[in-house]
Amino acid sequence: MDLGWLVSTVSRALAFGVPLLWGTLGEIYAERSGVVNLGVEGMMILGAYAGFAVAQTVGVPALGLLAAAVVGAAAALWHAFLTVTLRANQYVSGLALTLFGLGLAGLLGRGWEGKPLRVPLGAITVPGLAEIPVLGPMLFVDQTILTYLGVLLAVILWVVLFRTRWGVVIRSVGESPATADSLGINVTLVRYLCVALGGLLAGVGGGYLSVAYRPSWTEGMTAGMGWIVIALTIFASWDPLRAIWGAFFFGALYHLSFRLQAYVSPELLKLMPYAFAILVLAVSGFGGARWRRRAPGSLGIPYVRGER
Amino acid sequence: MKRIGPLIVERRLAPPRHVVFGVSVLAVVVALLLAALVFWAYGVSPWRAYAEIGRGTLGTVGGLSDIVRRAIPLILCGVGLTLAFRAQFWNIGAEGQLLAGAVAASGVALFLRVPDVLRLPLVFLAGFGAGAVWAVIPALLRVKLQVNEVISTLMMNYIMAYIVEWLVHGPWKGPTMRGFAYTDMFPVAARLPLIAGTRVHWPTLAVGVAAALVVGLILSRTRLGYEVRVVGQSPDAARYAGISFTTVLALTMVVSGGLAALAGVGEVAGIHWRLRSPSHISMGYGYTAIIVAWLARGSPVAAILTALLFGLIFAAGDLMKSTLGLPFQITGVFNGLILFSLISSDLLMYWRIRWGKKGEAWT
Amino acid sequence: MNVRKLWLLVAALVMGGLLAMGADKIKAGFIYVGPIGDYGWTHAHDVARRIVDEQYDWLETVYIESVPEGEVETYIDQLVRQGCNVIFTTSFGFIDGTFAAAQRYPNVIFAHASGFKRAPNMATYMADFYQVYYLNGLMAGALTKTGKIGYVGAFPIPELKRHISAFTIGVREVNPTAEVHVRWIYEWYNPAAAKEATEALIAEGCDVFAFTEDSPTVIQVAAERGLASFAHYSPMYAFAPDYVVSGQLVHWEVIYDDFLVKVHEGVYTNKNLTHVDYWWLLAQKAAELGAEIGMPVNPQYVAPLQGYVIDHPTFGRISVYDLVFVRYNQMADPGITFDPFEGPVYDRKGNLVVPAGMWMSYDHLITMEWAADGVVGPWPGEP
Repeated sequence: MDLGWLVSTVSRALAFGVPLLWGTLGEIYAERSGVVNLGVEGMMILGAYAGFAVAQTVGVPALGLLAAAVVGAAAALWHAFLTVTLRANQYVSGLALTLFGLGLAGLLGRGWEGKPLRVPLGAITVPGLAEIPVLGPMLFVDQTILTYLGVLLAVILWVVLFRTRWGVVIRSVGESPATADSLGINVTLVRYLCVALGGLLAGVGGGYLSVAYRPSWTEGMTAGMGWIVIALTIFASWDPLRAIWGAFFFGALYHLSFRLQAYVSPELLKLMPYAFAILVLAVSGFGGARWRRRAPGSLGIPYVRGER
Repeated sequence: MKRIGPLIVERRLAPPRHVVFGVSVLAVVVALLLAALVFWAYGVSPWRAYAEIGRGTLGTVGGLSDIVRRAIPLILCGVGLTLAFRAQFWNIGAEGQLLAGAVAASGVALFLRVPDVLRLPLVFLAGFGAGAVWAVIPALLRVKLQVNEVISTLMMNYIMAYIVEWLVHGPWKGPTMRGFAYTDMFPVAARLPLIAGTRVHWPTLAVGVAAALVVGLILSRTRLGYEVRVVGQSPDAARYAGISFTTVLALTMVVSGGLAALAGVGEVAGIHWRLRSPSHISMGYGYTAIIVAWLARGSPVAAILTALLFGLIFAAGDLMKSTLGLPFQITGVFNGLILFSLISSDLLMYWRIRWGKKGEAWT
Repeated sequence: MNVRKLWLLVAALVMGGLLAMGADKIKAGFIYVGPIGDYGWTHAHDVARRIVDEQYDWLETVYIESVPEGEVETYIDQLVRQGCNVIFTTSFGFIDGTFAAAQRYPNVIFAHASGFKRAPNMATYMADFYQVYYLNGLMAGALTKTGKIGYVGAFPIPELKRHISAFTIGVREVNPTAEVHVRWIYEWYNPAAAKEATEALIAEGCDVFAFTEDSPTVIQVAAERGLASFAHYSPMYAFAPDYVVSGQLVHWEVIYDDFLVKVHEGVYTNKNLTHVDYWWLLAQKAAELGAEIGMPVNPQYVAPLQGYVIDHPTFGRISVYDLVFVRYNQMADPGITFDPFEGPVYDRKGNLVVPAGMWMSYDHLITMEWAADGVVGPWPGEP
């Protein structure tokens, strides 16, 4: 494999991994607080729609991304209301959010189809760093600002989660809400905030698709990325830093499935990322507890004060 | 417990069946009212919309048979999933297990040389077996290597979908299909009989209903059912009770995956008579069945009812597109509203409102 | 006139009226496989439907979008119930359902796009582009600097294999060493896959692009890198005005117009469609060259194409720009005098697939599996 291969594979892995990374970071926070949100696909597509509609109307891609974030967060708050306040089944609420989001975005998006975005979010060249041989073209050109913001965000979110009091609060709410409650933590508030953050980041991930990655709106343009996010969350064992590797690893496999088509049957290549995900988990299962991190203790279970 | 005027609102642990049913119906009504607003916003009178939907689905033989036809795969997948969920195994993989069944059924139907009498039974057996194998893998991965089943079953859906894609584009592509990606038609002996004048493949329906009853009995009346429930409630308790986690989970998934696979058998042998692209074989039945199973609240028999409800919703969606000329995305919105409404009502079931007695305390 | 005769007269008038009404009013139902906003196949059919709908007072049309391929019968039932007497089903995968429905509703006229099963009341129709792809190939061959042209295909089915081979024959006619690199995305519509497939081709050194899938993704990605591309199916010039060279445009309305007028005039009935199969190309104006209606070649690319002059075995020294129009006229004029697959044609394994001086038969065209010389990449089902 010559360096050209490596450069293009890493570069594409970053670009394709961005929406996955943002979505996964969000879902990690939601699940760390104990709430599964299977509505990622729905939140992403609503973000993609809102991002395009606003960016196209106003002509400013950043405002489109902002709108995507707001809409994603709003959709997530609805999920939080149902699952935290009304204590509805989290899996079903998430599925409903996906159905609803895909439908609503498609409905609102009629009439926006088939138009290129006036001002897309362009790729940037990092001054100085782009000149470095091999690493420059690999990492510091052809990416939008969201690639770097995503990585930075992952680091920040990791620090917050594992090195600050807030992180302790969030993790204890996800691990054992009753204990957290007895310590005076507002479980409901923490869960609402984490789920909303999850939606916000998923919304940005969707917005990236319609404002930067492929600047136009089309029905169903998230094409199942939300489900990959759900898988990556577990794959990354609820760790923001591992989410970086997970998202970009998946991006690399996806890109390679087209690069390698000339040598291996395309269908086999297309199922490779999915098979790999299982394989990696199985292998890390051999590695024992050091590799494996357990899911948050009360993941998926609504909290009722005074029970359990 | 809360007192509002003369009323006492209090929590109950297990709502009686009639309450569950009543509240669920109420929730559907609320959803229909919300959806009425959507229709109205699209310039379709809600009255006309519901009249058309009612006439087109429940009012004609064609409409009713369409509901049942859509419900068949949902019953089979749904029953299997109620079982898996009882064991607290989050099988998101009914879609892939369904496709595995479709593949095995097609293989037997198209390529196995057997007498005609044996062909259909073998189609069913092979289908069940393939689904069982596909479903046991994540169960074993979970037990032996602690691989989270949500991820493994979800990923295996994609893998099976690409296997189907590969088969129809590659080795199984039908010589009579002029290069298009479909297998040839099944021989007549491998096609399921239909109820005359409809596309309801009744043998699969019968198997589905029977499976619901049998699984219901197993869960409530047998030692295995007891073990499944214990495993679901507390793996630790199961260990103390001397129950083999591996065996119970594996058995559960054999049945769960096998039943989902029979849904796939029904679709290829009853509807399409060939193997084709995964998205043509299943309209996401495996995913919808998750909701079917949840609504049935762990009861396989209730899954028949909830499957029929979703059969009705599918059929109503068809009518919204065709007769009412609404954009197709409206069905997603409509289904979302119904689900939101149903799950919001969940809480309601656990509360009881009654007249307070004098002197009853506030809490 | 006695009472009996009067009754006969009334009866005759009523019958005549009914018959006249029957032939007079046509309600045509269209069943689409995708959403009308897909900007590809379904979009094009719907544009055509609206054109014919506005054209005739006697015509009423309805449509149903996003119909899953296995579910077409259910929707045909509903259209018949609504009183449709002509039904168009617009995806190959509707073939079984449409054929079954044609048996069940012998009084309804069916027409199925891209299939091969016909019945007394079921015709087939297709507007095909292989000629236009060949013309695009001529231009692509002239424009590539690296000698590698990228092609993103949806599925490896005969329709696409025909398009890619015709395109490649065009490329090789003006640039005998150029290669056409193919990647499949296994979906008619998946923008992310189309984008990554294009990126993979760019990484391999391709600098001109063509595609068969239902979105303008390839054009957008190529334009970001300043690379030229060819549009497919819908007017996509606006997506990259500086980089879209040309493309193919479809005009389903000429087929729908012809078919419905013949039904209206009683030429086509529910008894005589067994041999009615439209296979309409440039000459029938079902296909058009260009990325924008009325603009065969992007003006920005006229000069480079005029500057690329070759020694042509038939036409001598000729610019590719002129060659495109010479070939266009040969295929678009009613007495067609040229076909891209004019023999001798060799596949990439060196087999002679079309003998010298011969043209391919219709059956061969719609079932072709081989890849023309110059195609590089996976080719599932290659003989």
